[in-house]
Amino acid sequence: MKSFVRMSYPYLLWIGLFIVAPMFMILLYAVTRSGNGTITFSFTLENFSRFLTDTTFLKVLWTSLRIALITTVFCILIGYPAALFIARLSEKRQTLMILLLTLPMWINMLLKTYAWRGILMNFDLESEVKVFIGMVYDFLPYMIIQIHTAIAKLDPNLLVAAHDLGASNWKAFTKVTLPLSVPGIISGITLVFLPAVSSFVIPKLLGGGNYVLIGNLIETYFLVAGDWNFGSAISLIMALIIILSMYLTKKLDRSDVKEE
Amino acid sequence: MPKKSAGRFFTSGYLILVLLFIYLPILYVMVFSFNDSKSMISFSGFSLRWYESMFENREMLESIYYTLLVALIATVVSTVVGTVAAIGLSKARPLLKNIALELNNLPVLNPDIVTAISLMLLFLSVKIQRSIVTLTLAHITFCIPYVILSVLPKLRQLDDNVAEAALDLGATPVKALTRVIIPQIAPAIFSGALIAFSMSFDDFVISFFTAGVDVQNISMYVYSMKRFNPSVNALSTLIVIAVTLILVLANLIPALRERKDKKEEV
Amino acid sequence: MKKMLATLLALVMVVLPLAGLADGIDGIDPAEFKGATLNVYNWGEYVDISVIREFEKTWNVQVNYKTFESNEYLWLQLASEDAWDVVIPSDYMIERLIAAKKLQPLDKSIVNNLDQLADGVKNLPFDPDNTYSVPYFWQTFGIVYDTTKIPVEEMEAQGWDAFHNPEYAGHVYVYDSSRDAFMMAEKALGYSANTVDEAEITAAYEWLRTMHKTIRPSYVTDEVIDSMAEGLKWMATVYSGDASYICSENEDMAYCAPYQGTNIAVDAMVIPANAKNPKLANIFIRYMLDYDASLANSIEVGYASANARVLEELSGPGGEYEGIDAYIPRSDYEKDEMYVDLPKEWQTEQPNLWAKVMAE
Repeated sequence: MKSFVRMSYPYLLWIGLFIVAPMFMILLYAVTRSGNGTITFSFTLENFSRFLTDTTFLKVLWTSLRIALITTVFCILIGYPAALFIARLSEKRQTLMILLLTLPMWINMLLKTYAWRGILMNFDLESEVKVFIGMVYDFLPYMIIQIHTAIAKLDPNLLVAAHDLGASNWKAFTKVTLPLSVPGIISGITLVFLPAVSSFVIPKLLGGGNYVLIGNLIETYFLVAGDWNFGSAISLIMALIIILSMYLTKKLDRSDVKEE
Repeated sequence: MPKKSAGRFFTSGYLILVLLFIYLPILYVMVFSFNDSKSMISFSGFSLRWYESMFENREMLESIYYTLLVALIATVVSTVVGTVAAIGLSKARPLLKNIALELNNLPVLNPDIVTAISLMLLFLSVKIQRSIVTLTLAHITFCIPYVILSVLPKLRQLDDNVAEAALDLGATPVKALTRVIIPQIAPAIFSGALIAFSMSFDDFVISFFTAGVDVQNISMYVYSMKRFNPSVNALSTLIVIAVTLILVLANLIPALRERKDKKEEV
Repeated sequence: MKKMLATLLALVMVVLPLAGLADGIDGIDPAEFKGATLNVYNWGEYVDISVIREFEKTWNVQVNYKTFESNEYLWLQLASEDAWDVVIPSDYMIERLIAAKKLQPLDKSIVNNLDQLADGVKNLPFDPDNTYSVPYFWQTFGIVYDTTKIPVEEMEAQGWDAFHNPEYAGHVYVYDSSRDAFMMAEKALGYSANTVDEAEITAAYEWLRTMHKTIRPSYVTDEVIDSMAEGLKWMATVYSGDASYICSENEDMAYCAPYQGTNIAVDAMVIPANAKNPKLANIFIRYMLDYDASLANSIEVGYASANARVLEELSGPGGEYEGIDAYIPRSDYEKDEMYVDLPKEWQTEQPNLWAKVMAE
């Protein structure tokens, strides 16, 4: 069975070529200084300092984080009750509901966003509201499914025991169901917050030209200004923030479990 | 009990509202795909003109073709490579396994645009001209991690003894693989393949940066349409119908098989 | 004698038509290109697609027609060795491409209809002898506005200053193009649109920041065409061709080419040096300049054609754009300028500054 390890070698090569090497290229561009696409090896950290010391860029970063945060909060507020109620349905109905929720995930995100654009043209709303509608719409199913998976795994006997011990429905919920469903909320957050931060298509299409987010900035610097070094630096900063947040939330998850 | 039914009413009502929200744009688009006029605001009459216009739009049809082609190839390749890699990694030493898995997670964790640009920089630096080939390679790259993430947990659950027993009884490693291990993880392979397909089908950002002169997928085509063209509604409607059919089939077939098995038991 | 004449006549009557067949279309045999694919890269919403299909049928080829959004994006695509056969950049970008040796000269034996060019697009500074380029559409950059919200006299009196008028806040679209944005500011301040003076460019940058803060515009690209045709906002910066479409769809709309001067631009067809099908590319260019294709394109898109006859017809009596003064670009105003390519540092710095303005 040990020989089976060799089966992983082809993919290891693939990782080296298509995951490690490209990231290395970004790193290289981020720490050098040059013109369009040619690399002259003069190392510098000025691409990073240029971003981090400019209030305009930091504001863009902050706006991206803020939009992602609010989107996530709304997804939790709307999604948690939905997941809870679904978990209380019969098995058959639960499967049906989950199916109904996953169906839209298969439809092209751009097509759905264009549909919202058409619908929202009828209403005179703040463009920020339109962006939030589009973002929450795109991410809500992921949140619902993650929370539902966690709740559905719970041992029903726990709730029976709680009631036997005299707890009201509300207490049973807050002291048993809610805490035990937290891992679901956390994995929902990682599936929503992190992609939302780097999202630029939905804000671009629904924001009516009023939003410049991190993703737009990266796109501009690579495809319009041709400043690949600066663009790479911004990409790295964003990637780092996201990977750090991932580890933080993982730690949160583990520490919660440990407390039990 | 009045309280219980009031509660039921509330929960069902809430779920219906959520479903309405989720399906609003989908239904709206389907309705307006039959609109006689160009408007997305007022429905002026039933017409199939947008479906006709869609089938006359060569660029749109080509984008559908390329999307499906790339998704199919990427799914097949990533499922095979991913499954093989997952099996290999499950038997690897912890050090190798952990490093490989961390790296494997990069395309999943990294924002789309960072993966997209890193691949574009790679292709350009090595002077590979962007084309459908680079596009497909990029898609395979971000699909494999999802396959591995689907298959690996199932592999962990497997009882090693069964495969060991097979080897002890004289089966070749290949036979042990195909007769013992793979059938047991088949559902995970299948769901990994499904996820891979949907990731590839839906992709925009990575495709935008890695496709060449000759290729455009659905997302790229829709994004390039700056002025609104209602044929997009026709396209969306057809995709919704196709997806619904696939999901219904994917769920009906196992259910029917179960019924068949039950009948045979009796 | 009679018999010989008759035989000769018969021979001539048989041979002549056959000779015509062998000549193909203007001396080129379509069979040469059977199954070829021509890669054409143009601006979005810049063609009547039936014109492309007609070309495909006549020459029995496939045209891979794709679109781009900005000259800067095009430059990067070409820099990455993507192989196009025909590309349609703007004047200053053509200048940059010629200097970087990224274009190949036209084959004048094929492109032999240059006499059909309108006067306004002859002898252009970046390519006076049409060695590399054949003009396609030309335009000015100006303001399209709702006359029921902003009276004509009010707009004409302000020109570019309208973009500092707080009364219009929230009702404005600004086209996302760094060169044109800086041009607006530079003209409003009385500078040249091609200035490389750092103080002037910085002043222009500050002018744009003030614009952003005062009127909070929505930054858009081609979606502005449908939006203004539907009267969703009061004013927008647009190219004159889009303005003529908008004005023909919505009679409340008018076009203003500001008194402070603006940019006259010409988009022209060129053949990149690494084109895979240069001969077919030349044929395509000739075809697009010709009356039929130019007419269809100009009617569909609304931009001023480079073809003299089409230009006259569409703006004249009974023409599609009769009475719409956005159609023919103002061409004799001394404050109007054509873009000259900026030096390298400004090529990245200007888009950078513009990105910052929009992000604030």
